[in-house]
Amino acid sequence: MKSLRLGLVLLLCAVLGLAVTSCLGTSPAYISSNKTHNVHMIVKMNRGDYWNTVKLGAEAAAKEFNVKLTFKAPDSESDIDEQITMVEESIKQKADVIILAASSYMGLAQVVDQAEYYRIPVISVDAEVGSAKVKTYVGSNGYEAGQKSAERLIDLLNGYGEIGIINFTNSTSGQTSSTGTIDYGARDADEREKGFLNYAARFPNVEVVQISYTSSNTADAEQLTRDMLHSHPNLRGIATLNETASQGAGKVIQELGPSPLKMVAFDSSPSMLEMLQDGTVQATVIQNPFNNGYLAVKYAVEATEGMDVPERVDTGTKLIDLDNMLWPENQKLLFPFVR
Amino acid sequence: MNKPKAYFFPHRPQPGRRGRLRLPSKLRSIQLIITLTFTAVTVLVAVIVSFMLYNKFSATAEANANMNMQQIIEQVNYNLELYVKGMGNIFETAEEHITSSPSIDSPLLSERMDMLMSSREDLVSVAVFTPQGKYVVGTPGQSMRINTQLQSQSWFTSAVKNPEISYSAPHIQNLFKGRYTWVVSISKMIEYKENGQIRKGILLIDFNFRTIDELSRQVKLGKRGYAYILDPLGNIVYHPQQQLIYAGLKYENVEPVLEYKFRSYLDESTGEKRFITVRTLDLTGWKIVGVAYYDEIVTTKRDLNHFLAWFLGVVIVGVIVLSILLSWLIASPIRKLERTVKLVGEGDLNTPIHVSGAYEVEQLSRRFNMMLQRIRQLMDQIIYEQETKRKGELEVLQSQINPHFLYNTLNSVIRLAERGKTDEVVTMIQSLSKFFRISLSKGKNMITMQEELDHIRHYLVIQSFRFKNKFRYEIRAEEEVLAYQTIKLILQPIVENALYHGIEMLPDEGLITITAGLQEGLIVIRVSDNGLGMSKETLGTLLSGGGKSSSGSGVGVRNVNERIGLVYGREYGLAFESELEEGTTVTICFPAVKAGEGPEEGREESVQ
Repeated sequence: MKSLRLGLVLLLCAVLGLAVTSCLGTSPAYISSNKTHNVHMIVKMNRGDYWNTVKLGAEAAAKEFNVKLTFKAPDSESDIDEQITMVEESIKQKADVIILAASSYMGLAQVVDQAEYYRIPVISVDAEVGSAKVKTYVGSNGYEAGQKSAERLIDLLNGYGEIGIINFTNSTSGQTSSTGTIDYGARDADEREKGFLNYAARFPNVEVVQISYTSSNTADAEQLTRDMLHSHPNLRGIATLNETASQGAGKVIQELGPSPLKMVAFDSSPSMLEMLQDGTVQATVIQNPFNNGYLAVKYAVEATEGMDVPERVDTGTKLIDLDNMLWPENQKLLFPFVR
Repeated sequence: MNKPKAYFFPHRPQPGRRGRLRLPSKLRSIQLIITLTFTAVTVLVAVIVSFMLYNKFSATAEANANMNMQQIIEQVNYNLELYVKGMGNIFETAEEHITSSPSIDSPLLSERMDMLMSSREDLVSVAVFTPQGKYVVGTPGQSMRINTQLQSQSWFTSAVKNPEISYSAPHIQNLFKGRYTWVVSISKMIEYKENGQIRKGILLIDFNFRTIDELSRQVKLGKRGYAYILDPLGNIVYHPQQQLIYAGLKYENVEPVLEYKFRSYLDESTGEKRFITVRTLDLTGWKIVGVAYYDEIVTTKRDLNHFLAWFLGVVIVGVIVLSILLSWLIASPIRKLERTVKLVGEGDLNTPIHVSGAYEVEQLSRRFNMMLQRIRQLMDQIIYEQETKRKGELEVLQSQINPHFLYNTLNSVIRLAERGKTDEVVTMIQSLSKFFRISLSKGKNMITMQEELDHIRHYLVIQSFRFKNKFRYEIRAEEEVLAYQTIKLILQPIVENALYHGIEMLPDEGLITITAGLQEGLIVIRVSDNGLGMSKETLGTLLSGGGKSSSGSGVGVRNVNERIGLVYGREYGLAFESELEEGTTVTICFPAVKAGEGPEEGREESVQ
């Protein structure tokens, strides 16, 4: 009887103690788990202002959300095999999440499925990958970007004339790719091109005379531009669909000196903005690389925390020209506040 | 178990089944009550004290944190003020150089400007523009870009509008070739000389964010807290997450900040409690805003929480253990006592009680022991008295028909009859018959004094025949005494004694005087003789049982004394006065009780 009473009393005291502790101890609600998240970010290329800005965004998020960020990228945007190897490595290193900007839509699909098999969530940034297992996509709408580019270029040309496009893709077979049944090109490149062509098709007087594909190399892009200008002397406008291509083409046009040739570039590297300011390039379609990087890491963390993440996050595109480049809100987009 | 006990002790108070509702007896045990009360009180006190301490501490911690934060922001404000003043000084120095220079394109000025530029790392560019936006002079070695749109830039417009020094919001400097950098511009309309002519121009100095960044970065407001700087229009000059805010990924609620120059408040717009402290820089109108997270600022509060939780837990456990122990210490001797008393109650009067513990309990057990002893004593006494009484009664019963006396008397009757003394025979037989009737008196124990005196008279009549003028007797009784009650046959043994021991051996005629009277509510009967008397020794042994009434009717004097004592109490009984050769007086003394009202009857019964 005595031991029973003792037990009762102890129980009572335990309940009391529990009540007291539960009353006083509350947990914070924000995401700042003490756990360090191991996030691997694999992008297309380890050079270029665009990817640097993506990296900046990712680092900002990493700092904020207590993330150990491993940033990896091959030397070239067309090096699919290298990228696949990197993803495999990350799987081996047991990353918590993999953020991937796929150089090839289909080429990376298999390895993404493999990551999913090891229960590593994959988040796409910038360029989608052909796998249903991807948690979320953070990036801009390539098709819309292509349309914006086309709209402005055709506007600049007053609605007629020959246009050349310099795009990028990773298929080694060069110019004849992207028509095959299996799409080995980068998804964003394809989308932009499609958007451009579809818009241009509305104008009977506008003719896209040539589409060249550069392998993410300014010198190569310059050469392609020269070739294009050589083979199409009546060319009135050039549209470039990524940063390297824009830089290469811009350089060639700058070297040519004042000419009626109009150009709509892509992305907002500082050199591109200089060309925009000095009039070499009339407009550029910009994405939001900082946000891409930041949001990709943020959603990566949320995914590992088991929160719901949106399936697709469009960070938007914008057309920038000389008039609006100094608008305060555009300044903030164009020039990352880097310290 | 209860039933037979109740049966055996019908007068014992039974466990109350009536009256107010009572808790089950187990819950009313001293130990439980002490434990619960003690625990409840102590825990209550501990909780109240902790609560008060917590409130007090947390309020202090909050106030401290708040004050600390204000001091930090004050410091930043001060440093920034110094810095902005420094910027102003540089601007003034540059202005002085330019205005004092005889010509704007003099090499001396250019040299000075160069020096000025190299003196500070956070200087980006110095330049003078005409009010039309034409470049006049600037840091040597920099070349203008085209399409700068400088006339629409804020530093330019405000310099044109405002004669004072104006500080711009952060913006991209796109004037000169090289990098695009984020700068804060200071501008003012100044005068300069060119080719001997005084002209107006706008002096522009751009500062980058290096120093502001350094100053603000030092601010540590907890782990997540930070400080940011706003310009008077609400543009963010500096923010640790500037790019995130520029990119629209973060949002800072600046409206309540802009309304005040000097303010501290609690902001919950983000869903989290944050302390906001605002200070304003007088020179530029910039606002330095410190943001600290409430739950971080009051980490002491959380620590306190943990500490108090532990403290309370330990206290509660300690108190419970202590109170169980204490209550056990108090209650266990009482419970032991209770068990022993229960044994006693069940009839084992010889149970010894040795309970040690608290003083009170010890005393209780000792007193109880004494009581028990007394009970045992009384029990023994009762047993003895009962035995004596029965024996006495048996003797009385026997004396009622004492064969020896009967035989002597009848012998006397026969002798009288032989001599033909018919009258005397009749008298004798009559007396004998009455004597026996009163002796028996229907088995009653109590008779009236009248009867008792008649009885002794008959006895004396009979004896006077036997002793043949050997003695005379006198019986004097007050009239009122006759109605009182007495135990029967108390006089006969005394008179018998007087006859056989006092008068029989006397050569002269003896005299037995019996007087009965009422004195102060007591009946006093005196039996005196003028016989031999007794020595002191004999007198002493008379009542203590030594002196056996060897002969006579056999109902001893001692027996009379015992019976009176048993019926009326020990203080009543016989008293002897005797003098050798003089005689003996026996005084019988007992309370006067009228016939029919006697407590004696009840008493008799209760004793039986």
